[in-house]
Amino acid sequence: MSGTSNLPFDLFEVDYTRYSNRQLAAVPLAVLAIALLVIAATFALTGAPVDPGVEFTGGTELRLAVDAPNDAAARDQIGQAFSTTPESIRSVAAADNTYIVTFESQDGGGAPTTTQLENQAEQAGFEIRSIDAVGPSFGADTQILALGGVGLAFLGMSILVFAMFRTFVPSIAVVISAFSDIVIPVALMNLLGIELSLGTVAALLMLIGYSVDSDILLNNHVLRRSGDFYTSVASAMRTGVTMTLTSLAAMVVMTITATLFGIQLLASIGIVLVFGLTADLMNTYMLNLSLLRWWKFEGVAR
Amino acid sequence: MGFLRDNWRVILLVVVLLGSTFALFAPPGLTSGSSPPAGGDNATRDGPTNLQFGLELSGGTRIRAPLVGVTAEEVEFGNESLASVEDNVTAELDGVPVTDVTAQRAGPDQPTNAVEVTAENVSTQQLANALDAAGYQHGDVREGVTETTRRQTVAVLESKINEAGLSGGTVQQVTTSTGEHFILIEVPGQDRSDVLDLVDSRGSVRIDIYYQTENGTYQTREAVLEQGDFRRIGAAEQGEGQFPPNVPVVVGEDKAEEFRQDVVETGVAQPGGTTCRYEDSPNNTDPCLLTKVDGEVVYAAGMSPSLASSMLSGEWTQDPQFILATQNFSEAQTLAINLRAGALPAQLDIGEGGEGTSSFISPSQGEDFKRDSLITGLIAVLAVSAVVFVRYGEAKVALPMIVTALSEVVILLGFAAAIGYPIDLSVIAGFIAVIGTGVDDLIIIADEVMQEGEIRSRKIFQSRFKKAFWVIGAAAATTIIAMSPLAVLSLGDLQGFAIFTILGVIAGVLLTRPAYGDILRALLTDDR
Repeated sequence: MSGTSNLPFDLFEVDYTRYSNRQLAAVPLAVLAIALLVIAATFALTGAPVDPGVEFTGGTELRLAVDAPNDAAARDQIGQAFSTTPESIRSVAAADNTYIVTFESQDGGGAPTTTQLENQAEQAGFEIRSIDAVGPSFGADTQILALGGVGLAFLGMSILVFAMFRTFVPSIAVVISAFSDIVIPVALMNLLGIELSLGTVAALLMLIGYSVDSDILLNNHVLRRSGDFYTSVASAMRTGVTMTLTSLAAMVVMTITATLFGIQLLASIGIVLVFGLTADLMNTYMLNLSLLRWWKFEGVAR
Repeated sequence: MGFLRDNWRVILLVVVLLGSTFALFAPPGLTSGSSPPAGGDNATRDGPTNLQFGLELSGGTRIRAPLVGVTAEEVEFGNESLASVEDNVTAELDGVPVTDVTAQRAGPDQPTNAVEVTAENVSTQQLANALDAAGYQHGDVREGVTETTRRQTVAVLESKINEAGLSGGTVQQVTTSTGEHFILIEVPGQDRSDVLDLVDSRGSVRIDIYYQTENGTYQTREAVLEQGDFRRIGAAEQGEGQFPPNVPVVVGEDKAEEFRQDVVETGVAQPGGTTCRYEDSPNNTDPCLLTKVDGEVVYAAGMSPSLASSMLSGEWTQDPQFILATQNFSEAQTLAINLRAGALPAQLDIGEGGEGTSSFISPSQGEDFKRDSLITGLIAVLAVSAVVFVRYGEAKVALPMIVTALSEVVILLGFAAAIGYPIDLSVIAGFIAVIGTGVDDLIIIADEVMQEGEIRSRKIFQSRFKKAFWVIGAAAATTIIAMSPLAVLSLGDLQGFAIFTILGVIAGVLLTRPAYGDILRALLTDDR
């Protein structure tokens, strides 16, 4: 009987017996605390837990094909074409001369309407590849709906987990890990300046479903199998790490290709899942595991 | 028999896959049992498959907006006539035409007596005050219009889109889970501004007469002809020579005599005809016929000598033809559409600061998205395959895993083709998510059945498979729970993502993942 787990892909070996529960849990809890701090700071500064994108604040996004000799000239043309300054101009890597130009809707009028922007783009000789226009009050409603949806999904998942395991500590371990799996990507979004979009909301919901898989697997092996704790953990880890790494690989390449092609929906789903799945590796095998071990060896005895 | 019993899951999967392939590739004529493509005509197939593509992938314009208006429920007006209620309420509202105030009795669509105002910039408080001032008891006053108005608006918008010749355009009412109502307009292959021009205005058309009274002041006799008063509305005509672009119309028989009297009384029809100078010198002109759209004068005209004499003699009522002139041909086309489709009972809230959203994708961008998202999906699959091969090192474990996961996507594609669900980017994201969860579950199965020790008997296999399935079921349940808010809430375009992820998980748990278990057993056990 040893505490060593042999991970797939010849990854490092982990000897869990060398670390106390306190040590194991300290790292993910510290990261969670920092993440919560980042979100709280963003909330204090901007009034929202994460910077909402055009879909939630209202605004106009144009995808334009610009006929210009080089990038700087194209940006210059775009800058001159519109009667208001764009909030951002991004180029699409895989498509030459294509730019995504975003305008925020402004309070108090004065800002050009989407139709005016459309006309200005046409007059400047740009080819309009796509237009997205969201009314400000519609955006605000959507934001409430989206955050409510994430909350509801999380609550539903928590209830289901408790119903499945019917033991407090292992269930709450899953719920805390899943909570951290969502909070960490949101904090990273704030730090990296990624805006909340429909794609990132979808990804957060998907994380709730995805990230608990490895936790459920771990709990299942420890709770419902005969055999000693470390053997169960080792076998759960072999499978679980493979699962997460497979998903992670898919999401990393999806994020890269979708970004190159300028498919924002897929890119934002991908990036949030990359963050979340990475966080999940840490949370499952450090936080969830330490709680389980405490419960198995000390909590039950009391 | 033993073979069938042992492999029924695999056989079932193959049957479902064949069905999906049929739904995907069979020529439309053969699939008469299934519903025809949403567009309505069987001839349109996007490429080699029966898949329908959404606007994101095929190009076009989508507008989603609520209707402008406020409605008071539980208004107590007893048996008073609706017209008199409307007049009384209008009198208390500043600058709102009576046509924008509608009283409605309780009916199948409308639980209580209601008064609705569809003019812009009327707040719920203003309507409440107006009702109080007019002496009507009332219940809640809310934003939004009545169900009847929404239905009429959808019908008028549909006919506008048809009249404008925008084929494949659809208009529908969508209700969010929070009880808000939106009108959703989708027009494939059309520019945003064209569609917006068409649906943005109320499009109410009427003819007024502008004339000089005996004491010398100018007056307007309103609505001598309205939208419903025409029996036939011709196609818009290009102007020729001195004739401006116009829409030829025939006035309905019951209205013709009344109109004739109006033009004679006001002097529009006088011997020698009239020349209108309304635009240049409104205080020194012959009487004019004013064509008004949404209250704005679009054209002012006098009457030709020949028409005037036929009006005066009364001959005109035998053949009550008439032309409505416009400044240019495109105005004539819009006028014809407005006349035929009728006026919108309420306006879409898509202006500045409005609640609407609109999007446009050019057809070439749609093609690019189609190709690029396919490449993205394929690369994701390749990445998954690479990881799985590296991990297991055995083609007989890894290969069926990839094939099984892909078969889930084939089933979903077949399903989408069969019900005509339009594929767009969010659905493709759903497919990628399904491959992800699918492979995860297959890894659980593979690891579980291959754990230490040979799988000598079917019994060992079965017990291990069952253990693996508990985890898979639990994981599937959490995914479904997590996705269901998105499937129900109408959060923009993400419904397709949630629906297909959930369907994929269900298909996976019921069909493909058990079949993979059978395949693995056939490859790994010794006893058969």
